[in-house]
Amino acid sequence: MLVVDHVKRSFGSIKAVRDIGFTCPAGTVFGLLGPNGAGKTTMMRMILGIFPPDSGTITWQGRPIDRNARRRFGYLPEERGLYGKMRVLDHIVYFGRLHGLDEFDARDRAVVWLKTLGLEGNEKRACGELSKGNQQKVQLACAILHEPDLLILDEPFSGLDPVNAEVILDCIRLLASRGTTLLLSSHQMWQIESACSAFTIIGAGEVRAAGTLAELRAGFPTRPVRVVPDLPAIRAAFAACGAPEPHVDAGGALVYDLPVDADFGRLLRYAVAAGPLETFQREEPSLNAIYMRALGTRETAA
Amino acid sequence: MNEVAIVFSAEIMRKLRSRVFIVATLLGIFAIAALSYAPRMIEGMIRSSTDNIVLAGPAQLRERAATLMQERKDFRVIASVDHLPPYVTAKYLDGLHAAAGIAIAVEGGRLHLDIYPRDLAAFNDVQFRSLVPLNEELATGVPASRFAAASRIERSVHPIDAKFADAGSATFAHGIAFGLIFILYLAIIMGSQGMMAAVAEEKTSRIAEILVATISPVSLLTGKVLAAATLALAQVGIWLASGLLLSPLALSGLERNATSVAAVAAPTIQPTEIIAFVLFFLLGYLEFSIVNAAAASLVSRTEDLGSISAPLLMPVIGAFLIAQFAIVQPNAPWVVAFSFTPFISPFVMFTRIAVTAVPLWQMALAVGVNALTVAIAFYAAGKIYRVGMLLYGKLPSPKQIIATLRA
Repeated sequence: MLVVDHVKRSFGSIKAVRDIGFTCPAGTVFGLLGPNGAGKTTMMRMILGIFPPDSGTITWQGRPIDRNARRRFGYLPEERGLYGKMRVLDHIVYFGRLHGLDEFDARDRAVVWLKTLGLEGNEKRACGELSKGNQQKVQLACAILHEPDLLILDEPFSGLDPVNAEVILDCIRLLASRGTTLLLSSHQMWQIESACSAFTIIGAGEVRAAGTLAELRAGFPTRPVRVVPDLPAIRAAFAACGAPEPHVDAGGALVYDLPVDADFGRLLRYAVAAGPLETFQREEPSLNAIYMRALGTRETAA
Repeated sequence: MNEVAIVFSAEIMRKLRSRVFIVATLLGIFAIAALSYAPRMIEGMIRSSTDNIVLAGPAQLRERAATLMQERKDFRVIASVDHLPPYVTAKYLDGLHAAAGIAIAVEGGRLHLDIYPRDLAAFNDVQFRSLVPLNEELATGVPASRFAAASRIERSVHPIDAKFADAGSATFAHGIAFGLIFILYLAIIMGSQGMMAAVAEEKTSRIAEILVATISPVSLLTGKVLAAATLALAQVGIWLASGLLLSPLALSGLERNATSVAAVAAPTIQPTEIIAFVLFFLLGYLEFSIVNAAAASLVSRTEDLGSISAPLLMPVIGAFLIAQFAIVQPNAPWVVAFSFTPFISPFVMFTRIAVTAVPLWQMALAVGVNALTVAIAFYAAGKIYRVGMLLYGKLPSPKQIIATLRA
């Protein structure tokens, strides 16, 4: 279990992390969400010991994180980097050895992971010759070759096409099924929503919301109701029940943002009475909506 | 295998596979081959341009003068004639491949030479010293052979320094000291640039972040710098070995005399000097490489390397210059003091070891001082490296660097 407790970190006059705390249970996939500059990368770097927190504690399995524990971690940073002239297989083996694997074991595992990631046949190619997506997969292989206890992925999907993003997602699920604890950040909400079992949303260096998706939804004050067709009579029926002004989505449906305790049955009856109702759908709030509300903005996530 | 060893072996393999290292090593061998043959070529060029003369004059006098000149190797008489043309021209000399025409005669009971050189600056009194006994014979009637014998001063050189048995060995040591510190100087200059470029590449490619998240920055730095130093030493070893193999072949064609390069081939390099060279080469290389790696970690773009590399090279140049003084004044108090000064010591102490008998305690102290400097440099550079490798944008201020070192 990874426990981050009231961690703070400043760089000169800039307070990158004001006060962050969360618990990442062992074997879970944990999402650390936040806008650019929220302090996610700083937080991850502190967990990895790249620099220490100014105050607060970070523990893994109940103990402060030392070098031995850190060797069992894996890390895929947001900024990608490979030795351009080094061969793919040698590169992965090198990082495997730095994480404590012996040469032969690292080589055997690297071959397996290259196949899993769809990179077989590229073993002897220089890393710099690969496409961006494939370079990213090589870096992932470097981070996971030693089957880490804790894998930290900073924006693992950024810049990837949907096919390669799905490969990475499959990889995350595979590692989670084998017991690896994953901490990942992403701006691709639908991907992180499907991958993670719990989340912490941070903004300006502080925790804004935390919990499982169900817990976050339970605390969300409204529910969207999608209504088709957009008829004046239906709008009038909703208005009569005190519903706020709807917005029209891209498909032409009316979307009402209603309080979670609204009488949805009454609304449905009014809508049916008002005209030829085709769709009346009460939805759960998306992670994107929860994220936006937590950060106090209605802008769409990047 | 520990972290340092893994980084070390990976760096060695990475560099051995790089074309730059292979090409640089081969170019070095070619350069040494060219330098080995250079004395022979230069001697040939110089001889043909200044030593070849056309000698004119009475036959008996001409023959005696030619014999004396050729015995001392001052000149090579390539043509002997009774008279030079009335007007000696360059075309005439070119036709005979001669540098000058010299007419010899006796006037007033002494030798008189009329010299017609292509290059007025190419002849001096020293070159005609071989004719002095003949001149004395003409003036006094005493045979030239007696003057020649009398002009030689028998001398015995008694070494007061236990280091060398004779003057040839001492001369050889001076040459070796200069040659090896020049190699150390070149290796550090070239290695510094390579080290800075490699660190900057790791930083700009962002691979540094993964590395410092995986292993300690000190281990990373140690592995990288040790690998660079080992390869530099190996490269220098290959160059020196190729030089030793090629030199006898090159020297075989030289006409040797007492002070020529061939004469210094006889003494041998002592094992102590080889050990001292390897030791001080590694210590010096490590000291400068560590500082350069730490400095390179502070720049965000490879284009900025030039602005920080110039000041870092100044101590190397200074150390090399001080070592030149150490060759001739190895026991001057200030030279002795510099032989214990970090960064300068590897140059100066090695030079002193090569040219004089340095007490064992001084050698041990110099090794200790430099080893301690390397350890402190690794510690401090590791801290700078950890922060510097993740620092992008403007260069940190000296205040920030000091704060990093104190952290």
